[in-house]
Amino acid sequence: MQYETNQPGDRDMTQYKKTAIAGAICAMLSLPASAEVRIGVVIPDSGPSSLFGPASRNVALMAAEDINASGGINGEQVRLFFADVGVPPAQSAQAAVRLWRGEDIDGFAGMHNSAVREALIGQFRGQVPFVYSGVYEGGECAPGTWVTATTPAQQLAPVIPWLVENEGVSRWYMIGNDYNWPRDTNDAARSMIAATGGEIVGEEYVPLGSSDFDASLQRIQASGADAVFITLVGGDSVAFNIGFGAFGLDEQAIRFGTLIEENTLAGIGAAGANRLYSSLGYFANIETEPAKAFAARYASEFGEDASALNALSQSVYDGIMLLAALGNAAGSMDVEAIAKVADGTGYQSPRGKPVLSGTHADQTIYLADGTGAEFTVVAQFDNVEHGVSCE
Amino acid sequence: MDQLFLILLNASWQMAALALLALGLAIVFGLLRILNMAHGEFVMLGAYSHVITAQFGLPPLMALPVCIVVVGLVALLIERAVVRHFYNRMFDSLLATWALSILMREFVEMIWGRAYRNVPLPVEGMIKLGGVGYPTYRLMVIAFVVIGLAMLWLWYRNSLTGVRIRAVVSNPALARAVGINTTRFAAAAYVIGCVLAGLSGLLLAPMLGVEPSMGLDALIRSFFALVVGGLGTLEGLGIGAAVIGGVQAGLSAALNQTAGYLGVLVLAVIFLWRRPDGLYRRR
Amino acid sequence: MGFIVGASLALLGLLMAVPAVWGDFVTWQLGLFLLYGIAAQGVGLAWGRGGFLPLGNALFFGVSGYASAMILHATDGALVPNLLAIVVCAAILAALAWGLAMLVFQGRLESGPYFSLITLALVLIVEQLAETAQSLTGGFNGYSGYPSIAGLDPFGNLYYLIAGLVVVTTFCLMLLEKLPAGLVLRGLVSQEARLQTLGFATHRVKAWVFALSAFITALAGALFASHQGIVTPQASGFVLSSELLIWAAVGGRLHPLGSLLGAVAIGFLSAELRDTYLWWEVLIAFLFLAVVIAAPGGAIEMLSYLAQKLGWRPHELTVAPNPPPPTRPNNAAGALTLRDVHVSAGEIRILDGLEFTCPTQGFLCVIGPNGAGKTTMLKSITGAMKVERGEVSLGGQTVTNLPQYRALSNGIGRKMQIPTVFEDLSVRENLQLASLANRARAIDYFRVAPLGWEIPELSRLLDQPGVPLRELGDLNAGALPQGHRQMLELCLTLTPAPAIVLLDEPTAGMSPEETALMVRLIKKYQLETKAFVLVIEHDMALVQALDARVLVLHQGRRFAEGSFGEIRSDPRVAEVYTGGNK
Repeated sequence: MQYETNQPGDRDMTQYKKTAIAGAICAMLSLPASAEVRIGVVIPDSGPSSLFGPASRNVALMAAEDINASGGINGEQVRLFFADVGVPPAQSAQAAVRLWRGEDIDGFAGMHNSAVREALIGQFRGQVPFVYSGVYEGGECAPGTWVTATTPAQQLAPVIPWLVENEGVSRWYMIGNDYNWPRDTNDAARSMIAATGGEIVGEEYVPLGSSDFDASLQRIQASGADAVFITLVGGDSVAFNIGFGAFGLDEQAIRFGTLIEENTLAGIGAAGANRLYSSLGYFANIETEPAKAFAARYASEFGEDASALNALSQSVYDGIMLLAALGNAAGSMDVEAIAKVADGTGYQSPRGKPVLSGTHADQTIYLADGTGAEFTVVAQFDNVEHGVSCE
Repeated sequence: MDQLFLILLNASWQMAALALLALGLAIVFGLLRILNMAHGEFVMLGAYSHVITAQFGLPPLMALPVCIVVVGLVALLIERAVVRHFYNRMFDSLLATWALSILMREFVEMIWGRAYRNVPLPVEGMIKLGGVGYPTYRLMVIAFVVIGLAMLWLWYRNSLTGVRIRAVVSNPALARAVGINTTRFAAAAYVIGCVLAGLSGLLLAPMLGVEPSMGLDALIRSFFALVVGGLGTLEGLGIGAAVIGGVQAGLSAALNQTAGYLGVLVLAVIFLWRRPDGLYRRR
Repeated sequence: MGFIVGASLALLGLLMAVPAVWGDFVTWQLGLFLLYGIAAQGVGLAWGRGGFLPLGNALFFGVSGYASAMILHATDGALVPNLLAIVVCAAILAALAWGLAMLVFQGRLESGPYFSLITLALVLIVEQLAETAQSLTGGFNGYSGYPSIAGLDPFGNLYYLIAGLVVVTTFCLMLLEKLPAGLVLRGLVSQEARLQTLGFATHRVKAWVFALSAFITALAGALFASHQGIVTPQASGFVLSSELLIWAAVGGRLHPLGSLLGAVAIGFLSAELRDTYLWWEVLIAFLFLAVVIAAPGGAIEMLSYLAQKLGWRPHELTVAPNPPPPTRPNNAAGALTLRDVHVSAGEIRILDGLEFTCPTQGFLCVIGPNGAGKTTMLKSITGAMKVERGEVSLGGQTVTNLPQYRALSNGIGRKMQIPTVFEDLSVRENLQLASLANRARAIDYFRVAPLGWEIPELSRLLDQPGVPLRELGDLNAGALPQGHRQMLELCLTLTPAPAIVLLDEPTAGMSPEETALMVRLIKKYQLETKAFVLVIEHDMALVQALDARVLVLHQGRRFAEGSFGEIRSDPRVAEVYTGGNK
């Protein structure tokens, strides 16, 4: 059996348990030298991002199916091994290394936060190919690491001019959580806003886990901003946007965020989502043919009640597909071999036609309007450059 | 001028929300000396009452009785099974209720998953107060908290039950000798404290992201508000909420949110060190 | 002592075997959990031996980790500078912990939740600062890109460094338990108030415990930096603090091996089972709850209970008797005088202008109806209750409102109204603790010999026929009947040889034979040491037997004073107070 079976209509947890047990049994029965490519998939099953765990797992299974259906990697079938990296970086590193050593992993695909990424890279040290996907702040140049994750440059470069042109905004207020990703994102945004002739009328950072944004909302109102750029995450983003709507500030300004996905939008609710834009590499209801086919297939394989797709969980599919593409292009899973041929490699994705340029992927970016608590894609930008230079 | 008024309204909201949040804990700790680390989870359960109500297709207003019933039953169960053993063991009550909070969180996750739930505002729109618009629902909650606390205080001062409560707190053995059933009293106090926590979650849910781990933040803020005011009196609750809420709102408005957050923590440390009985000395 | 060495060597052997038997991956895994285990030992020490609950110990772990990472970066991993830096950094954090504990515990008898909440607030502050100060700490993404200490491989030789540290901390902590210092700590947890009347500044004891706890945790944090290659704000966060607590609780906070066991067992099992068994977290929470409710000593306690059922006995340390040093000279001496003393409890005025002078030696009996303020008077002399107005002095030197632990250094010993002994300690240990009081210097707490001090005052008491305490040496003091308990408490009070002895109803609840014995003991002590003994009594026969002056208290004031005969025949006293024979 090359890939785990799945039945439509199963609840995610039974699915997961079956998968895990099947995987464990297969692992126990497997012979040391098997003709297969072993891919370690490291995703959060616990902690703050655990919400995306089940869907990530599902799309990973879809990726394995697709790869094996078209002949596997260099003629060998692909087999997936999962590890939970939602725990603090120390334990996440342990989980990943356990897979690596214990299961003889040939390549890793991961979707998790940057602290975990740093910890994993510190352990892998370029000895095993590692594809990082999701959304992040850019700048990862470690050897042996390739990235499908969207960067601030990608999510902002085409979108800011679009917003300026279509919504006529010019006074920007930036608010984000106080850590690396928001700060780096805002740095990227600054020059782009200036290039459109806009000005930044306010910038503030709030601690992770804030629930009261009244002071910030008041500042936004007083500043006369007509566009608010949001780099808040999780519950903070939800609370902020609810408050924004409650104070009727959506009449004064549009909002735009680079990590507002379906789950956050559901938490915000319709009252808080008026004129709320989101720029990501993927939305569950993109209308392009590949995306619709992907969503339909997901629904039929995992059921209508399965965990919802979003940019983060779907990115795991892209990550594994890139890993396979790299392996096939290089003829092996060796990091050196891959590094020689990586540049220019394309991989299959419902997002469009992404292509590696250097170590990062140039890809399609979608801009969606969340008004009414449902995303409606209003613009699509193809082949957006990632803007990361590793020298 | 408008800006200042808005700051005052925001501060009032902070104080009212904090007082509401911490009330249940004030009762449980003040009367029973139990450090109820599961307080935040009861708040979370109250918030989830909206989800339960919607799930059963009931009209939204039914969330109130659903909250009281669900939270009350869970609290009763917990009191019977666990909390009862810890009435004189403060540290152990902290640890036991902490373990319970983990369990409650896990169960909620298993039943409803980890996704964010949105609770629509029961009352939408804003009211104009002297040139400044403020969300109607918030004003209603502020009014409710102020009136509610005032009535509670009056009732406690003047009612027979209030006297009985004071008797049990100051001398449990004597109270028992006089015929007050202290076991039932303790259970009632715990359940009522938790139900109040649930009600605060119910009222505040439309303003927050509702998800299983929303309780920790509520717990920490409640504890520090009580610490400043004086663990265990209504007056202390009011003072503590006012000071902590005011400081956080003020610092956030003047500087930034990080300053507000750190300022509250530093203030809490100072009060814990210098005036552990809080600003309001219990007679 | 041999047992401790044996256990440590066994631990060392076990740890050394791991790389050979299970390979370098398990070694690496175990290394992390050993480090967490050391940190858990720190928490267990503070909680189990100090009696206070630190909710924020991860802050020492993380801050030390960050510091170590930065210094490793700057020195490129050189061995000696980094070892030095680790110890210095840990010492600095220990000093800060000491200061914090001194500030918080001074003047406060119970540990209360305040200290715990302060440490909670502090760890939240540090975690937030670590996230905010991106340029210094790397922020949320963590601080990385530095070599490990001496370039040791976390999958290889670094493990031996970690294993060595584990054995050292476990050995030292186990040793501490056997030393007088360990005895003092057990007394602290058992009955803090009594420890203070034996002259121990308990806030200082707690401060030292917390400092040691911080030191150990910081050492572990420093090696964590080398082991992981990255330090993130979570290493100094609330979640790690709470995990340390759970590990120490479930493993057994009362024993260093317990905390270690908790961290390694739960950590390991979590890593293995978390992926396969979805409800792992629920199970751990249930386990934690079960431990709190039913087995506060954790797994170690259950294991030792089983072992004892199988016949194993905990090793008893036997020390040869040896002569003690003399008691320390008193800071103040002379006649005890109360001048216009006012003491209230809330709105109730208890002492209302109490005034009298005691003789420098001999007996004084204080009698009076209930509520007259007799016990309060004793408390105000030793500092257990606050004197609002007025003065208490010793030979002209003011001792008003001094902290309780200073009483003994002024030569004042007090026996409490309700006999207060160290219930969790054996009778012998109670007496050992009292033997240390007022005699031991700092170094003596870390030597074994003081446990064998034979105090002449104590020996005289124990040698008296009718005093059974020597034979009852192994019994837990909490299991003593009232009469023996009173005797034990008298011994505790008299062993430090105070010059002023305050006895609060020393024969309450005793039979006539026991009462007579107590009178003999007290009289003997007074004769031999020329002390001044103040006795609060209700039993007139006793007062008569002591043949002392009598002071009558009424409504917080001196009502009458005179010889027994005078007082007995005074009609005013009869009106106020009807005494009687037993």
